[in-house]
Amino acid sequence: MKLKKYISLTRAGIMESLHFRLGTVVMVIGNLLYLIVVYFLWKAIYASAGTDVVNGMTFTDTLIYLVLATALFGFMEMYTVWEIGRNIQSGKIVLDLLKPMEYRRYLFWSYSGSFVTQFFFTFLPTFIIVGIVTHGAIPLGTNLLFFVISVIMAVSINYSIDFFVGTICLFTESIWGINIMKQVIVLLLSGATIPIAFFPETLKTIVYYLPFQSIYNAPLTLLLDGNPKNETVLTILSTQLIWCIVMMILSKLFWKVSLRQITVNGG
Amino acid sequence: MKQKGLGFYLRIYGKILAQDLKSKMSYRADFIISTIGMIFTNIAGFVSFWILFRNFPSINGWSYYEMLFLYGFSLVSLTPVQCFFDNNWSLRMYVYSGDFIKYCFRPINLFFYYQSEVFDIKGLGQLSFGIGTLIYSWSKIGLGFTPLILMKMIVFLLTASLIMIALQNASAATCFWIQNSFYVLDLVLKFKDYARYPITIFSPVFRFIFTFIMPIAFIAYYPSLVILRPDEVPLLSWLSPLIGCLFFWISYKFWMYGAMKYSGTGS
Amino acid sequence: MSAIIQIKNVTKEFKVLNRREGLKGSLKDLFSRDYKIVRAVDNISMNIEQGEIVGYLGPNGAGKSTTIKMMTGVLEPTSGEILVSGNIPYQNRAKNAQEIGVVFGQRSQLWWALPLIESFKLLKDIYQISDSDYESMMHLYRSLVDIEPLLHKPVRQMSLGQRTLSDILAAFLHNPKIVFLDEPTIGLDVSMKSKIRILINALNKEKNTTVILTTHDMGDVDALCQRIVIIDKGKMLYNNDIEHLKGFFGSYRTLKIRIDGDLKQQAEVIQKSLPEFSVSADEEWISILVDEEKSKIMEVLHQLQKSHEMRDMQLQEISTEEIIKKIYEEGVE
Repeated sequence: MKLKKYISLTRAGIMESLHFRLGTVVMVIGNLLYLIVVYFLWKAIYASAGTDVVNGMTFTDTLIYLVLATALFGFMEMYTVWEIGRNIQSGKIVLDLLKPMEYRRYLFWSYSGSFVTQFFFTFLPTFIIVGIVTHGAIPLGTNLLFFVISVIMAVSINYSIDFFVGTICLFTESIWGINIMKQVIVLLLSGATIPIAFFPETLKTIVYYLPFQSIYNAPLTLLLDGNPKNETVLTILSTQLIWCIVMMILSKLFWKVSLRQITVNGG
Repeated sequence: MKQKGLGFYLRIYGKILAQDLKSKMSYRADFIISTIGMIFTNIAGFVSFWILFRNFPSINGWSYYEMLFLYGFSLVSLTPVQCFFDNNWSLRMYVYSGDFIKYCFRPINLFFYYQSEVFDIKGLGQLSFGIGTLIYSWSKIGLGFTPLILMKMIVFLLTASLIMIALQNASAATCFWIQNSFYVLDLVLKFKDYARYPITIFSPVFRFIFTFIMPIAFIAYYPSLVILRPDEVPLLSWLSPLIGCLFFWISYKFWMYGAMKYSGTGS
Repeated sequence: MSAIIQIKNVTKEFKVLNRREGLKGSLKDLFSRDYKIVRAVDNISMNIEQGEIVGYLGPNGAGKSTTIKMMTGVLEPTSGEILVSGNIPYQNRAKNAQEIGVVFGQRSQLWWALPLIESFKLLKDIYQISDSDYESMMHLYRSLVDIEPLLHKPVRQMSLGQRTLSDILAAFLHNPKIVFLDEPTIGLDVSMKSKIRILINALNKEKNTTVILTTHDMGDVDALCQRIVIIDKGKMLYNNDIEHLKGFFGSYRTLKIRIDGDLKQQAEVIQKSLPEFSVSADEEWISILVDEEKSKIMEVLHQLQKSHEMRDMQLQEISTEEIIKKIYEEGVE
């Protein structure tokens, strides 16, 4: 019964996103063109490097990494900060808070329909095309399983961060400013724009202590590794799990405290 | 009715601008946070640039500082679109909610009236970053400095701006047909990030596409050649001011056509 | 004198997408689409004279907004002719806009973040209002409403009533020949409604401005309109004086009473005792449509009180919807 309630939210989300027919088409074309640009840019970079392997990654590795990072971005970007911010400004949040579901959960499941469409319209085609273009350079083995587990945790961490940042909108009207800061930090430090392997050493060390690399770098590293060592996999997944829990607790706590603060002050 | 010429529109714009700035100042927190967000975006841009190219002395025959020049050039040329045409981002919301109708009842140009409503002061931060980068790379490359070069620089920066404005107008106007034009705008936003790389890295097919179909090569590459490589300026560079005006005119017509077509369908 | 607005056989059709139902339907919509033609306005003709206040009534989706959009030049009619102050609105949108003022429901056309006075100054420039005209208009406004506290308040901080008032003042600012008001009193409380009605009346008298008003509120119609036009499903049902219609329906009021017991059964009993009026019942109330020319409400009440123990009662004026229903059932003439 409980599951059914979530599934019907998911279903409504799928239908809603399909209604934007041309939007979907544009999105697919857009992603493909974007991938082409990435391809040529890195091809030029590798050509200039003069070696096949830069920072431990071949051109194919980098290409798969970046292309899938983009696909993952489309998959994971839920515009949570915007949604929360707008709901707060319009006052709709009051209605949402009255729903018989925790707001944090409600928001997630309302969006979850897009996960399904995004998966089939963006991620899967991209994955297949990249697989074909690189002549099967994506290893297909147990790493796929690790990748899936890792992505699920990445979605959770990403959502927690988004929700945390979205909560800040209870205090300020500046949704754009808050959102852009979050996006810029997450995209850069998670390795979504440039693989973390390319970062200078000190920056790399710092980044590994932050939660962001668990969003993009972790699942993609697992995917690209054809013969994963048990300890590597274990380290990556357990780091993710820890961040998953920590960020979830933090975002829940922050929301609770902020909400109390706001209701007390009558904001 | 008196004739409404350029003077009339400039005067109106000046007055709206002054009022808008006044009211922006009244949202101080939002203003500060947005400005910080903008600075973040620019710093992140530079960091990515630095991480990416610090290992390579040149890409495809373009030196590090020449690449930096392109980067600065694109930042400056993107300022007008950020400052004066930012309301394009809200267009889909107005259209979706039906509020767009309120712009249709005034005895002045609809496009002008709509765009004049928002002046985005954050763009000025980007401008200063861009100018700083241009001056720095200019001195590193050792380009000469004469009034003629400055003149050329200004003309070609304006040209590049027109192209970007045209791209944004056109992509924003798609919301008159497809409901969720956000994807299109977002796509164009992503593409302008790639405008800062020399077009020679692409294969001939995509060189053609990025020159004539999605003219992002005019945002930095073609116009900046006039300054960077004065000995080998292609015809397209000299033509770019003309092309800029043409694209702008087309995008304006497209926008207006969409607006007139749309205004009926809302409730 | 020729009419300021002339509408002749105007029709407007829209192409509407037929959405299929369910998840499977959404998938099908992705690949093939099914359109149907909807006739929003169907062969309407009317003339409106300078200085009239005309009430344009009809249920939601009747085609009111579409007609107004055509008169303001935002929409082009599919067929037929419209002349507004000598212009064809669609062809001379900007020129037409100079001659008209529009208030569209709750969508404020003022600059959201600016104090009202700054919006007025911008409008002064946009409509090229001369200093003397502007001053005399402001003078008039000051004599009609307490405008001072509004002038320095940003529009976004105003209450709905204040915003509507400001929007109406802004629409009259350039002394247009015609002002379109789309549901100006929607969502307002009683005192604000009456304030706005008084203002509209005063501006109409003072400047001889033609006002075209859409509303669902019969109170607006009573207070303002000399003439009403009723439209339903795109077709014009009625176009005449309000007095004429009042003679027909004005004497009707609905008396609602609440009594114990099975309401349906009781309603039948009451119907028998009051054979000249129609009696109906819902879950809570028994409604009696009383024609006051036949007997006074008080007499009916008195009679009912003798036979039934009433727990509560209500008196309702006839609504637009009921008028339309009656026009359909009985015709006007």
